[in-house]
Amino acid sequence: MDTTAQILPGTLDLLILKAVSLGPLHGYGVLLRIGQISNGALLIEQGALYPALFRLVRQGLLKAKWGSSENKRRAKYYGLTAAGQKRLREEADGWNRLATAIGAALKARPEEV
Amino acid sequence: MKLLSSIHVLLTSVFRQRQIEREMEEELRLHLASRADDLERQGLPRAEAERQARIEFGGYERYKDECRDALGWQIFSEVLADVRYGLRQLRHAPGFALTAFLMLALGIGATTSVFSVLDAVLLRPLPFRDPSRLVLIKENVNKLSDRINLPAPDVLTFAQQSKAFNHVGGFERGEVELSGSGEPVRLASARLTADVLPALGVTPLLGRSFTAEEDDHGQAVALLSYALWQARFHGDPKVLGAHLDIDRKPYVVIGVMPSDFEFPVLAGRLNHTAIWKPMSFSPQERADTGDNFQYGAVARIKPGFTRAQAEQDANRVAAAIQAEYPAAMGIRVSASLIPLQDDAVENARPLLRVLFGAVIVVLLIACANLAGLLLVRGVRRRREIAVRQALGASGGTLLRYSTMESLLVSVIGGALGLVLAWACLRWWVSLLPESLPRVGEIRLNWEVSLFALAATLATGLLCGIAPGLAALRSSANEALKQGARSVAAHARLRSVLVVGEIATALVLVTGAGLLLRSFARMSAVDPGFEPVHALAAAFDLPAERYQTQPQVNSFQEELLRRLNTLPGVKSAALATNLPMAEPTSTRFFVAEDYYPPAGSSYAVESHAYVVGDFLQTMHIPLLRGRYLNAGDTADAPLVVVVSRALAERYWPGQNPIGKRIHWGVDERSSLPWLTVVGEVANTRQGPLDSEAWPQVYEPLVQFDRSFGPEAKALGVHGGSMRIAVRAAGDPRPLANAVRRTVWSLDPQLAVSNLQTMEHAIRQSQVPRRFNTAVLSAFALGAVLLAALGIYGVIAFSVAQRTQEIAVRMALGAQPAGVLRLVLGSGARLAALGCLLGLAGAASVTRLMQSLLFDVSPFDPVVFAAGAAVVLLLTLAASFLPARRAAGIEPMEALRAE
Repeated sequence: MDTTAQILPGTLDLLILKAVSLGPLHGYGVLLRIGQISNGALLIEQGALYPALFRLVRQGLLKAKWGSSENKRRAKYYGLTAAGQKRLREEADGWNRLATAIGAALKARPEEV
Repeated sequence: MKLLSSIHVLLTSVFRQRQIEREMEEELRLHLASRADDLERQGLPRAEAERQARIEFGGYERYKDECRDALGWQIFSEVLADVRYGLRQLRHAPGFALTAFLMLALGIGATTSVFSVLDAVLLRPLPFRDPSRLVLIKENVNKLSDRINLPAPDVLTFAQQSKAFNHVGGFERGEVELSGSGEPVRLASARLTADVLPALGVTPLLGRSFTAEEDDHGQAVALLSYALWQARFHGDPKVLGAHLDIDRKPYVVIGVMPSDFEFPVLAGRLNHTAIWKPMSFSPQERADTGDNFQYGAVARIKPGFTRAQAEQDANRVAAAIQAEYPAAMGIRVSASLIPLQDDAVENARPLLRVLFGAVIVVLLIACANLAGLLLVRGVRRRREIAVRQALGASGGTLLRYSTMESLLVSVIGGALGLVLAWACLRWWVSLLPESLPRVGEIRLNWEVSLFALAATLATGLLCGIAPGLAALRSSANEALKQGARSVAAHARLRSVLVVGEIATALVLVTGAGLLLRSFARMSAVDPGFEPVHALAAAFDLPAERYQTQPQVNSFQEELLRRLNTLPGVKSAALATNLPMAEPTSTRFFVAEDYYPPAGSSYAVESHAYVVGDFLQTMHIPLLRGRYLNAGDTADAPLVVVVSRALAERYWPGQNPIGKRIHWGVDERSSLPWLTVVGEVANTRQGPLDSEAWPQVYEPLVQFDRSFGPEAKALGVHGGSMRIAVRAAGDPRPLANAVRRTVWSLDPQLAVSNLQTMEHAIRQSQVPRRFNTAVLSAFALGAVLLAALGIYGVIAFSVAQRTQEIAVRMALGAQPAGVLRLVLGSGARLAALGCLLGLAGAASVTRLMQSLLFDVSPFDPVVFAAGAAVVLLLTLAASFLPARRAAGIEPMEALRAE
């Protein structure tokens, strides 16, 4: 059985925020971190990450800063802003509520209806 | 704050554009490199790792585009980037860019500037304050006519009783003799009431205008035109207070009007009014109730009144006026207001409409050519677009790029066109005589300029979007495979454009052809006299000095005696009317044996009193009977000579000799009968393309008797006469002798309109010559542009088909066959265009009926000739590429691919 899943629209932003909340990352780092925290279960085209990063910066949820990477290359690091933190909390709550509701719905048996 | 921050964003986006692009590139590259490093660590060879990294990344260009989109606030800088990109593209195709720019610049520049000048000259805006509130008051009088001028008392009544106007001024056009300083001259003049200048909102440049008191008390004061002041007084400000002899009466100059002042405004032509005097109505004029409807009334509508309200008010006054008229006259009067502006431009409208149409046609053809160029360009870039598409550039980006380029072409071309139009305009204006009023105020006509810009922009937009969309619809793969072969659809579109161009050009050519033929027809009209070696002049004996009939008669006799003895003069005579440039003089008469159809008015004609052998001097051919001669004295039987037009109208198919007429409108009146003794050819009062009115020639010496007892009331006659001189050779050297002969009798008498009759005919042709020349120039431009269009299509198709032609030739086709093949494709387009053009012409030439003379709007000769000209020119345009095709070296061409 295929254990990977196409990413749901709108969830990429949430994953990025989550990945970055654990510490500033450059673009490729974000990708690796998402792979790590989702146990490689989520597949995206790697390039799609960047428009999302740019958009989040523009929305003020991420801040970008140029620094040097682990192998001494110049890289752009993304970190969470206060607004980003707040958004992450809200979105996570929303997801959890939705997931619980959907999960409950799917577990329902015919006699419970 | 919001504004400030957006400006900040804008500026940073502009200046940081390059940096942002660089950083984006760096960031994405780092990603690819990092990924490749990881993959290499997993055991892949470096090259394979890099390839794998790129595949995992996805469409590189597309994500870059999306990143740019995500930045959002960069819209402005994106446009800039697109502009830069477009300019770069254009630099790579200088031939294309230059052709497009030049065509647009010329198309817009020439047409817009010419139209602006014509529009300004023909529709001169009135040089008055707030001219939209100025109206002429006209009366509608039953039994007489609608919208006619007013009797003197009515002008005063309107001035006193109306409530809707700030000022109501009366005026009357006329001519005066100016003598005393320098040569005596006759000048156009006008009498104005004191309210006219305040109504117009104009004040003199120098000095002052006259007051109501001066007007009422008949003070001899005068205002001079700027032109007269410059010409006769060299712009000397000391002219104020100077004395002038106007009609032999001393006047004091109190002011000089501004150079752009014109009043009364004449429809469609310049008014050279040089002297304005107070109206100072005479007691007789003030008593002319319901008579002499000859005074204009100009009024300014008060603020707060609409024109309809003002008209209502004027009609209230008209009702009061009607009450004053003797009830027995049974006259009903109402008032109409005509905006002064409308009155001034009425005659110019049909011509302007045709010219506007011509400008639009030329512009559309230029746009069609632009569209053709852009489409070719689109075809050529198809492959490039496909490559970009394959590399992942988004559809929106590609569309933006292709649109940007064609928009750039149209914007730059349009702007160049307007600059050129502006430059041409300055140039045209410098060619115009400075005496033309308000020359300095001629501006680009914004309607045409806007239309030109909008048309080019729309063309650019459409031609950018259409190929872009087409490219997007077809898959990139297909386009790459097909290469430049998938151009059939574009070729068809371009052919449609060219056919349209040829058709519209032919419509314009047909219009110009009709005007040219009208001109030829007019030139071929028999003027009814011999203009060669004929000289004419005019004089007006001032009533102040020539008070009795014997004084006038002896002046005339002595003048003719002296003129006839001048060396080089074959004969000289006088008449009240000369052929060509004279107003028609209408008079009612009753013809024996003629009963006007029920409901129609009595016979009207244009008449001339003659002194001496006038008909013989002008060489007006005698058709029947005899000329007037020395035997027709004051005591001899009353006689007239009539023109063929009169004879044909009143006695069709009969011999007019011996028929009788008398003046007046009453068949039973006691006025004496005049016997027709001769019938002569028609002459015309106006230009040769005007109608030949029925004419009567009568000996001036019989004037008194022909009017019977009423003649006494008519007073002294024959003071205003035209001189006709038949010279043995070139009449021009005689001009000075004629003038000196007049002055030998009266040194203060002005000699006006001294010209050869050939010159008079040429002058009368000027308006038609002008219309014809302008429309022909537009038609020429249209045909040349259309030829350029067909050249472009054929040349491009030859370039596309080089290989095919080479193969044909390699297989044995002869150059002549190839030539025929290519010419044939051009001829097909031309023929189709001409067919459509003829149909189009047939449907629009009717609109220019009023500009034609003696030519049907469907004249087959003009239609055929126009089609032939367009056909030949377009064939010539396709000949060049055809020859190139025939000269293709098959082996070389095939190897080149």
